[in-house]
Amino acid sequence: MASVELRGIAKSFGRTTALADVSFTVADGSFFCLLGPSGAGKTTTLKTIAGLAEPDQGTVLFDGVDVGDVEPTHRNVAMCFESYALYPQHNVRDNLASPLRSPRHRRPEAEVVKRVTEVATTLGIDHLLDRKVGALSNGQRQRVALGRVLVRPADAYLLDEPLTHLDAKLRASMRAELKLIARQDGTTTVYVTHDYVEALSLGERIGVLNEGRVIQVGTPQEIWEQPATVFVAQAFGKPRMVLLPGAVVDDPAGGRFFRDVSGSLRAPLPEGADVAVGTQLQAGFRPRDARVLGPDAAVPDGHVAVRGRVAVTELIGAQIEVSVEVDGTLLAVVGDRARLGQVAEGDRVTVVVPAGRVLMFEHGPEGARIGP
Amino acid sequence: MTDTASHVTTQHATGVARRRLGRVLTTVGLLAYFAFSLFPVVWMILLSLKDKQDQLTTYFAFSPTLDSYRAVLGLGDADAGVPFLRFFVSSLVTSIGAVLVSLLIGVPAAYAAARFSFRGKENLMFTLLSFRFAPELVVIIPLSVIYPQIGLFDSYTGMIWVLQLVTLPLIVWILRSYFEDLSPEIEQAALLDGYSRTQAFLRTVLPLVKPGIAAVSLLAFIFAWNNFVFPLTLTSSNAQTVTVGSLSFIGGNEAKFNFTAAAALIAAVPPLVLALSIQRFLVRGLSFGSVKD
Amino acid sequence: MSVLSSTQSPASTGGVPPSSAAGRVRVPRWRRRLRPYLLIVPAVALCVGILYPFLLGVFYTLFNYSATKPVPDFVGVDNYVTVLTQGEFWHSAWVTGLFAVLATVVETVLGVGVALLLNRSSLLGRLLEKVLIVPLMIAPIIAAIIWKLMLWPSVGVLSHYLSMIGLGDLTAIDTAGKAMFWCVVIDTWIFTPFVAILALAALRSMPRSPFEAAAVDGASPWFTFRTLTLPMLWPYVLVAVIFRFMDSLKVFDVIYAFTQGGPGNATTTLQISAYLQAITYQRYSFGTTFMIVLWAIVYVVSMVLVRYLGRVQNRSAGK
Repeated sequence: MASVELRGIAKSFGRTTALADVSFTVADGSFFCLLGPSGAGKTTTLKTIAGLAEPDQGTVLFDGVDVGDVEPTHRNVAMCFESYALYPQHNVRDNLASPLRSPRHRRPEAEVVKRVTEVATTLGIDHLLDRKVGALSNGQRQRVALGRVLVRPADAYLLDEPLTHLDAKLRASMRAELKLIARQDGTTTVYVTHDYVEALSLGERIGVLNEGRVIQVGTPQEIWEQPATVFVAQAFGKPRMVLLPGAVVDDPAGGRFFRDVSGSLRAPLPEGADVAVGTQLQAGFRPRDARVLGPDAAVPDGHVAVRGRVAVTELIGAQIEVSVEVDGTLLAVVGDRARLGQVAEGDRVTVVVPAGRVLMFEHGPEGARIGP
Repeated sequence: MTDTASHVTTQHATGVARRRLGRVLTTVGLLAYFAFSLFPVVWMILLSLKDKQDQLTTYFAFSPTLDSYRAVLGLGDADAGVPFLRFFVSSLVTSIGAVLVSLLIGVPAAYAAARFSFRGKENLMFTLLSFRFAPELVVIIPLSVIYPQIGLFDSYTGMIWVLQLVTLPLIVWILRSYFEDLSPEIEQAALLDGYSRTQAFLRTVLPLVKPGIAAVSLLAFIFAWNNFVFPLTLTSSNAQTVTVGSLSFIGGNEAKFNFTAAAALIAAVPPLVLALSIQRFLVRGLSFGSVKD
Repeated sequence: MSVLSSTQSPASTGGVPPSSAAGRVRVPRWRRRLRPYLLIVPAVALCVGILYPFLLGVFYTLFNYSATKPVPDFVGVDNYVTVLTQGEFWHSAWVTGLFAVLATVVETVLGVGVALLLNRSSLLGRLLEKVLIVPLMIAPIIAAIIWKLMLWPSVGVLSHYLSMIGLGDLTAIDTAGKAMFWCVVIDTWIFTPFVAILALAALRSMPRSPFEAAAVDGASPWFTFRTLTLPMLWPYVLVAVIFRFMDSLKVFDVIYAFTQGGPGNATTTLQISAYLQAITYQRYSFGTTFMIVLWAIVYVVSMVLVRYLGRVQNRSAGK
């Protein structure tokens, strides 16, 4: 086991910058998720940790020791490639056994057999051991790739989208399985994904990556409740957070508050935020935090309200997703049908949100959050 | 209505007629081209089976004999007076030698060019490609002066060296395209599995490009075997090859058409047999990797 | 290959594989940087070994080195001046250019035609496709010998049967035009399959959907060919054209065996001229000058053609 630390990693391929400035620390034995859209630099980050990509700048440290001069073979990390990178000339068994037969990690053959069988059973591929990898489905290949990682102890596991090609049901069960394995093994794991649900459910800590930069690192709760920027706020949650542009205005009753462009939303500024009158801001909330009330309903205490007209409703089982049009912007609200009550398209409604759940950001797609 | 119907029918009929005509023309065209393409070979086979009298005739019917082959190869009593068997051995030795040397030099270079980015890479690749297109005599004239001085004239070593101009560019360029087709992540996985770079190469990469290496080796062998200008200028007897040797039966006082035909066929057989075994690969091979099948 | 393993794992020497820090063998950056260079050392050495005679050849051109003048004098650019002002060079250059253009055009048109016919995949086509490459794989010199025997005056099979239908005169290689004609025929015999197999590969790799769309729209076969097949074929055929043209510029084997440059100097291409000067008459400096000039021509032509190929390929890739 080892802690993994990246300090100021930069890497470009020709003229394209893959990583601009990446720094984060993965504590020994912890499970770290790296989330970002495609092209954000997630895979390059993993390969930098593995020593497969040489950074132009910055340092990689294992347990506080610079490993820049250590070759991939000797870094003692195991990686699950998004492309699987299985050995096409070998069958599943030999693919899984490969690390345990290498000069670096050689084990007695009896132990190899035992370990391979164990891992294959865990991953539900024990019936495929004698197949060539060319004869497998993508989901099966992905599990073989994952198995090749889990088959041996390593200082760190680097997993690059290891569940993307599984079908939904298998993905959920494998996610639970992985969580269990990680907890039992206690192996430091860096898990790359573009799926925020995976990140939130698996990661003890999450790093959000965009365009080669780390935007925020934090626990799932921190990332969810206190997203550092608009990008982070919108990267998590579906439907994604809708933002209403507006500005800070003077409250005749004293103090300042936020008012959106249409004037329909008025919300107090976050505690401790000191923003000058006239500053352009944008405000938003998570669709699950809101409720829909009748057009003339009283606004509950400690809530803010927006009035609008229901544009679309979608029933998804017991859930309902309501899009409310507010001055040209569609606000999404999601919840149980029972809680949201009966709404029909065209209804005039009031959307209410607890004041504390309204998040405010500076202007622009990378705008930083205002407040603590 | 009837007008339209009959109109459609006529159109349909002309369509069928046109298609049938197309098929006939296709067949005629193919037969014409392949007659042109294959007749010379067929005629050489016939000529090589003729005896001393028949060789001066253009008949297709005659009593065939293998005497020319015996004479050319110096087997039996009818000796043509040319050490053609020795030329054959020289062709084998120099061609195989040239391919082996090229593989030894070319595989690492092709791998480096496919996997690493380093200064001067494209210069090296371009230099190799320019060898393919350079007129051979640019190098031959100076070599024809140097070789006798350093004892490489008319030697296997000298031929193998100069044949690198033919075999090395081919092998490097094509193997590079094969290595580039392979995802580097397979080797990277092997490195992380705990294999050294050498082991990763030998264990994962090499087995995957083995068919490509085999095919390009055969093609390089064919080109080396078929080369004429190097043995013509840089050998005289010991290292002389079949391409030059085939000319020895033409001329002289006596007509030896049947011997010439037999020699030509013997010289043509090894490349033909090998080429037919790597048909699928030829597109990539002949276009230097620029067209992939 | 041992250059690849610049590190030796302690685990491979036996014992329990060390985990973590203990096993982290370090390889300094400069040694990792060196790795590709070690791999290309042999190739570079060989290139140098081949470029040495080339440079020596360039050196020769500045002297009047020949078998009769073993201790040569420095003559500066005199050889180039002589070559470029003398009729012999320009005659050879003209012959070479004519041959290259004729051979390339005929082979390209015929090769593409054969590919189109073979692509119609009749049973006959599939059979014949197997033997398509036969002439291409026979050494050009052998091919020339075969044709020489067939065209041998009076006893050659072609001479005999062509004279029976009144074309006997054609096979007498006694004029420049007829010599060139037969040289192009032989070259065409050898290299048409080269164009054909590249064109056939291109035809087979074409996407189906545009053709199906054209058929649905009721486009005529000629229209489809002109607007779909030909543009998609061109990048591939161009590769073949470049290879054929460049190779034709340095043609040697076929002409050496068939006409030896004759009759007179009707088919003395540049390589044949250089061969006669340097090897036959042993005028090394003079012959090399021919070759250096030819090399320069080939170099410039290849640059132009390869740049054009790049443009065509980019365009067809939709860039």
